[in-house]
Amino acid sequence: MKRLVPVAVHAALLSATLFALYPVLWVLATALSGAPMRSGRVLPWPEQPTLRHFADVLFRDDAIFFTQLANSLFIAAFTALVAVAIAAPAAYAMARFEFVGKRASLRSLLATQMFPGVAAAIPLYLILDFLNLLDTRTGLILVYGSTVVPFAIFQLRTAFEAIPVDLEEAAMVDGATRAQAFFRVVLPAARPALAVTTLFAFMTAWNEFILAATFLSAESRLTLPVVLQRYVGEHSANWAAFSAGATLVTIPVMALFFWLQRHLVAGLNAGGVKG
Amino acid sequence: MSQRALRCALLACAVASLTCAGQVAAAEAAEPLEPLVLWHAYGDGEAEALRQVLAAFEAAHPGERVHAVRLPFGVLASRLESAVPTGNGPDLFIDAHERLGRYIPRGIVQPLDPSADPDWDATVAQLEPQHVEALRRDGRLYGLPLSAKAVALFINRALVPEGGAPPAGLEAMLRRPLPQGVWPLAIEGEDTYFVAPIFHAFGAKLFEDGRYGLARDGEADPRAVQALERLAGFFRDGLIPPEPSGELVTRLFGGGQAAYAISGPWLAASLPADLDVRVIPLPGLEGAGPMRPFVTVEAIFRAGADAGAEASPAHDVRVAALAGFLAGEESAVLRATVARQVVSHRGAWERFTPDATMLAFRDAARGGVVMPGDARMSQVFEPTTRAIRAVVRGGVDPAVALAEAEARFDDAVRALPEAHDPSLALVLLGALLFIGAVVAVRRSLRAEVRRSLALSLPAWRYVAASFFAVLLLVITPLVVGAAMSLFATDGSEFRYVGLTHYVDILSARGGDLLGQGSFWRVLLVTVVWTALNLLLHVAIGVSLALLLHRPVLRLRAVYRVLLILPWAVPSYVTALSWKGMFHSQYGAVNALLAAVGVEPVHWFSRFGTAFAANITTNVWLGFPFMMVVALGALSAIPKELYEAARVDGASSWQQLRHITLPLLWPPLLPAVAMGAVWTFNMFNVVFLVSGGEPGGSTEILVSEAYRWAFTRGARYGYAAAYAVLIFGILWLGTRSRLVSRAMQ
Amino acid sequence: MAELSLEGIEKTLGSTPILRGVDLDARDGELVVLVGASGCGKSTLLRVIAGLETPDRGRVVLDGRDVTALSPRDRDVAMVFQSYALYPHLSVRDNLVFGLRLQKVARGVIDERVAEVSEMLGLGELLGRLPRELSGGQRQRVAMGRAIARRPKLFLFDEPLSNLDAKLRNKVRVEIKALHRKLRTTTIYVTHDQLEAMTLADRLVVLDRGVVQQVGSPLEVFERPANRFVAGFIGTPPMNLLDVEALDPGLRESLPAGCATLGVRAHQLRAVGEGEALSPGQPRFDVEVLAVEPMGAESWVHGVLAAGEGAAAPAVSADAADGAGRRLIWGSPNWQAPVGERMRWTAEPSALHCFGARGERL
Repeated sequence: MKRLVPVAVHAALLSATLFALYPVLWVLATALSGAPMRSGRVLPWPEQPTLRHFADVLFRDDAIFFTQLANSLFIAAFTALVAVAIAAPAAYAMARFEFVGKRASLRSLLATQMFPGVAAAIPLYLILDFLNLLDTRTGLILVYGSTVVPFAIFQLRTAFEAIPVDLEEAAMVDGATRAQAFFRVVLPAARPALAVTTLFAFMTAWNEFILAATFLSAESRLTLPVVLQRYVGEHSANWAAFSAGATLVTIPVMALFFWLQRHLVAGLNAGGVKG
Repeated sequence: MSQRALRCALLACAVASLTCAGQVAAAEAAEPLEPLVLWHAYGDGEAEALRQVLAAFEAAHPGERVHAVRLPFGVLASRLESAVPTGNGPDLFIDAHERLGRYIPRGIVQPLDPSADPDWDATVAQLEPQHVEALRRDGRLYGLPLSAKAVALFINRALVPEGGAPPAGLEAMLRRPLPQGVWPLAIEGEDTYFVAPIFHAFGAKLFEDGRYGLARDGEADPRAVQALERLAGFFRDGLIPPEPSGELVTRLFGGGQAAYAISGPWLAASLPADLDVRVIPLPGLEGAGPMRPFVTVEAIFRAGADAGAEASPAHDVRVAALAGFLAGEESAVLRATVARQVVSHRGAWERFTPDATMLAFRDAARGGVVMPGDARMSQVFEPTTRAIRAVVRGGVDPAVALAEAEARFDDAVRALPEAHDPSLALVLLGALLFIGAVVAVRRSLRAEVRRSLALSLPAWRYVAASFFAVLLLVITPLVVGAAMSLFATDGSEFRYVGLTHYVDILSARGGDLLGQGSFWRVLLVTVVWTALNLLLHVAIGVSLALLLHRPVLRLRAVYRVLLILPWAVPSYVTALSWKGMFHSQYGAVNALLAAVGVEPVHWFSRFGTAFAANITTNVWLGFPFMMVVALGALSAIPKELYEAARVDGASSWQQLRHITLPLLWPPLLPAVAMGAVWTFNMFNVVFLVSGGEPGGSTEILVSEAYRWAFTRGARYGYAAAYAVLIFGILWLGTRSRLVSRAMQ
Repeated sequence: MAELSLEGIEKTLGSTPILRGVDLDARDGELVVLVGASGCGKSTLLRVIAGLETPDRGRVVLDGRDVTALSPRDRDVAMVFQSYALYPHLSVRDNLVFGLRLQKVARGVIDERVAEVSEMLGLGELLGRLPRELSGGQRQRVAMGRAIARRPKLFLFDEPLSNLDAKLRNKVRVEIKALHRKLRTTTIYVTHDQLEAMTLADRLVVLDRGVVQQVGSPLEVFERPANRFVAGFIGTPPMNLLDVEALDPGLRESLPAGCATLGVRAHQLRAVGEGEALSPGQPRFDVEVLAVEPMGAESWVHGVLAAGEGAAAPAVSADAADGAGRRLIWGSPNWQAPVGERMRWTAEPSALHCFGARGERL
C-alpha cells in the first residue's frame, strides 16, 4: 500500500506532463517533417525527418528572418524594461503611500484589464499617427509597455507589500533618501517579482501580432509573430514552415522561462521575497 | 554593487530605448527623395516577380524610385482602411477587384487618371476586357488588372493514369476505382469560395441585385438546394474528406492521397516537384451545367488622396506611369514567367510559352464568374459557409440552412440605424463636465483637501510616469472605443445613434432573446465557459501543485519545467495545433480514441464537443499559471501546522481538507479573479479552435464583438457596444466582496 | 557624542493617542532604557527620535539642534531593529558599510571600520555571507555592527533581543552593556522586558499609555516606584499589591490616610515563627499557601490573604483574577512550604509602600 503511493504520484505527474507536451511535440514534429504527415498518427513523430523547413524560414529573402528576430527581441526587451521601469515606482507608491486618488487609480487599472481590446485598436492607431510613431519600433514599445503596466503594477505592488517596512526604514536611518531606499533596498529585495514581471512583459510583446500587424508596414520592421501569420494564409497554408517558425519563436521564451523558473514560483507570490 | 548595477541598468535602458528608438524613427523620416510607395500582400513567388518588375520600371524611368511594402496576408484591407484616411497610406496598392465596392465609398481608392499617360488607351486595349470591366464603376476605371485567379481541377496522373479528354461529369471521374486510403477529391468543400462552382453549375447565384442569391425572403432557391444536396452526397459517399482545410487539401493531394483536387494556383506552387500533375478547367456536374469558379481579378489601384495633401499633376503622371507599367506587357511577361501569374495582358501570352497548367488556369478564369464587386458580396461568405457546414456536418435541411443564411446576410448588411439628434447628449455631457469642474474646484478650495493633496505630492511623483502612459495609451483608446458605441458606421459614414446599439443588442433586435447568436445566449455560453475553465484551471493546477509539493519527489524539477511549457509557447501556435488535433479524420485526438476503440468524433459539428474542444485547449493553456501560483502559496504554509495536525491525529485527507485548502485559497484568490477576467475575454482560443462552430454556437462575447468589427461589415460601433457591455458585466462581477477582498 | 531631549512629544495614530506629551532627556554617553508593556508607545517614541514618525506636537532636540522636521538620514542616528532589517540581498560586509557608502565615506575608512567592527563583534568569518545564511544570534550581531560602523551620535535599539532564545539573550545583554561602556555613545534602548531594562540601563524610563511614569536609575525605580503601575511592573517577581480592604484591620489602621493599595516586595516578607510575637507596628499577613515555585536559590511561595481570624478558609483557587489584590508572593529561602495550610508573614514597616486611589505614591 505504502509503496503504491509514489507510483500513483508519478503516474499522475507523468500523464499531466504528457498532456502538456503533446501539442507542442506535434508542432515540432510538423516542423521536422519532410513529407505530409500520414493520417491517424498517434505519436508525434516526424515523417521523413528534415531540417529543410527551418532552413527555409531562416534563410529566405536574404535571411530577413534575423532582422525580424532582432526587431522582436528589441521590441520585447524594451517593452519589458519600459514597463517595469515605469510600473515599479508606481507599484511602490501604491504599496507604501496613502495618497489622493490611490483607490481610484487602482480601480481604473483593474478596469483596463476588463475592457476587450477589440475596441481600442482604431483609436490607438489614430493616437500613434498623431504622435508620428506609426510604423516605428518606439510606437510599438510604448503601446505594449503601457498595456503591460496595469498588470505589472498589481504584480509588483503585492511583492513590495511583502517586503518588511523595516528594511526601508533601516536604509533611511542609515542615510538613504526614500528614493535611494527604493532603488537600493526595495528593488533588489523584490528581484524575483521583478524578474517574473519582466518575463510577462517580454512575453506579451514577443507574442503579440494583431497590433503589430496594424502598426507596422515595412518588411524589415516586422516582428516574428506577424511574419509567422503569413505562412498560414486563407487557402494556402504552409504548416511545416509555420511550425518551424513557431518553434524558432518559442525557443527564446522557453529559454527565459527555464532560466527564470526558480524565480517564477517566488515571484508570483508575495511570500517569495523574504530573505 | 549589484543593486547599483540593477538601478543603473534600469535607468539606462529606459533612456536608451527611447533615444535609440527615437533615432530609428528619425532615420526613417529622413529618407531621401520621395519614392512611390506600393503596398501588396503577395506571397514569396509573386513578390519576387514584383521586385523584378519594379527594378525594370526604375531602369526604364531614370530617377524614379518605388518602395514596395509587403503586408501580411489578411492585413492589407484593414491597413488600407486605417492608413489611407489618415494620410499614412501608399500611393498605389495591389488588391483583389472585389474589394472595390468597399473601398470606393471610403475613399480608399481613386480612379486612375488616363490623361496623365499618352499610351493609356493602347495599354488598356491590351488587357482582358472582362478583367477591365470588373474594375469599372460608374464609367470610371479604378484600377488596371494584373492577373486573374480562379480554381481549376488538379489531377494526379500517377493515380489517374489516362490523360486525354476528361469525361463529361465530375461524378464519373470521382467514381473511378482508386487504391485503398486515397480520397477521390480534395477540396475545401465547406468553404463558400470552393463550393461556388457547384452552385453555379446548377444555375444558382450567390449574390444578385444587392441581395442574397441562394434564398429570397426565407425561401431557398431550389437550384441552390439541389447543389447543396449534391455536395452533401459527395461527403456522405466518402468522395471528399471531412472537415477539409486548405492545409489538408495540400497535404492530401501533395502526399498522393487524393486523386483530384479543386484549388487555385497556390496549390500548384506548394506541390512536390516530383508529383505528376495535370490541371484542367473545372468539368461539369451530372445533370447540371459546367462548374464555373469565381474569378478574382488582382489589380493595381491608386490609393485615395488624404484630405490634406495637395493635388499635383506631376504626381498623377508618376502614379499613372507606374500603374501602366505594372499592367503592361514587359511586366506581364515577367510576372507570368517568374510567378506563373495568369496575367491579364493578352499580348504577353505571345511572348512566352505557357505550359498546360497556366493555360488551364487561364481557361478556368475565362470560363468563370467574375466575383461581384458590390461591398455586400463580402457578407455572403460567412453565412453561406455556415449553411454549408450545417448541411454537410449536421445534416440540416439545405432549404432551412439557406434561409437562415439569408437572415444572417440581411443582418450583416442591414441599414445603419437612424441618426439621432446628438444635441441632448451634448448638453448632458456639457452639464456633467461643468458640474464635475465646479465640484472639483470647490473641493480643492477646502483646506483639508488642499493639505491631503500636498501630502500626496511625493507619491504622485512615483506614479506620474505610469499614470500618463496608461492614460494616453490604454485609457484614452478604451474611452474613445467606448464612445464609438454611440455611433454607427459602415466605414464611409459616421452617424450618432445614441443608445440604439445597446437597445439592439439587449433586445436581440426583436428576435428570440435566447435565439442563436443573441447577446443573452452568447452571454450564457461565456459564463459557462469562464466558470468551467476556472474550475478546471484551479482543480488541475492545485492538484499538480500538491503532487509537486510532496516532500520526497524524484524528478521534481523536471516535472515542474515540463508542466509550465504550455505557458511558454505562444497561444496562437498551440491553439492552431490543438485545432489540428481535433480534426475528425486526421487529428491525433481521434487517433488516440481509435486506439482505445472509440468511434471518431466530429468535434466541431455539435455544440457539446466543439465547446469541449475549446475548453480542453484553454485548460491546457491556463493550468500552468494556477499551478505556479498554488506552488508558491503552498510553500508559504508553515510546516508546524501539519505537525500540529499530525499530533492531533489528522489523516492526510483531513490535513488537506482542513489546513492546506483553507490556507491555499486566500493567496489563490487574486489569481482566480484575474483568471476570470482573462478567460472571459479569451479571444484567441475560441476564434482559432472552434471558430464559433457549429453555427456560431460556441462564440463567446468577445469573439462575437470581433466578428462584428472585422468580419461582418465593419460595424465598429456595434462591436464597441459589445465591448462596453462586456466591460460592464466584468465590472459588476468583480465588484463582489470576494474579489474586492482579494484586491486588498 | 550627543545629548538628546524630547519636549512634549504627542502623537496620535488614527484616533488613538499613542504618545501624550512625553518629556525626556538623555545625557551624553548615557544608556537610557524605555520600558513598558506592549502598546505603551515606547516603539513609537523611538521612531519619533529616529525620524521615522513625525510627532503631532513637541520637539526632538539632538545636541542642541531641533531635528523634529529633519528626515532620518539627516539626524545621524543608527537603529537596531527588532527584526534586524538586514538587507537580504547584501552580504554581511555590504550590510555593515551600506550607510557609509551612502555617505560617500572614503574606501580606506570603510575598510578600517569593517575591520574594527568585525573584530569587536567577531564577525570576521561571516563577512562574505548573506543574511539568510546566518543564525539568529549572528544576524543580531550584524545588525548591531551595522549601527556601530556608522559611528552615529545616537544609537537606537528597538527590542533587539526579543528574537533570541533566553540563554543567548543574557549573553548578548552583557555584550551590549560592555559595548556601550567601550563606545560611550548615547543610546536609547526600548524593551518590554523589565529585567533587561534593569540590568542595562543607566537610567530607566517607564512608559505606560503614552505617558512617562517614572524616570530614574534602576535602583531608584526598584526601591521607590513612583506609582502603582511602576511597582507592579518592575522587579522579579513584581511588587505584591494588596487591596487595603483585604488587610488585617489592625494593619489597615496603621496605614496613612488615603492609602488604597499596599505594596510590599516578595523578598522583604518573612515567615513569623511559631509563637513569635509581632511588635504592634509590624504588619501581619495571614495567608493560605497556594503553591510553591522553586526558583533555585529561593522559592516563590504564593499565598492568598485569609478572610480573617477564625473565618472559614476561602475556597482555594488558582485562578489569577480571583483574589487579585489579595494574592502575594514570598521569596522564601526554603524549599518547603505547607501548601494548603495557613501561614503568617510579616515585613519591616519601612518596607511597605502605600499608593493612593489613583495609584500615586503616598
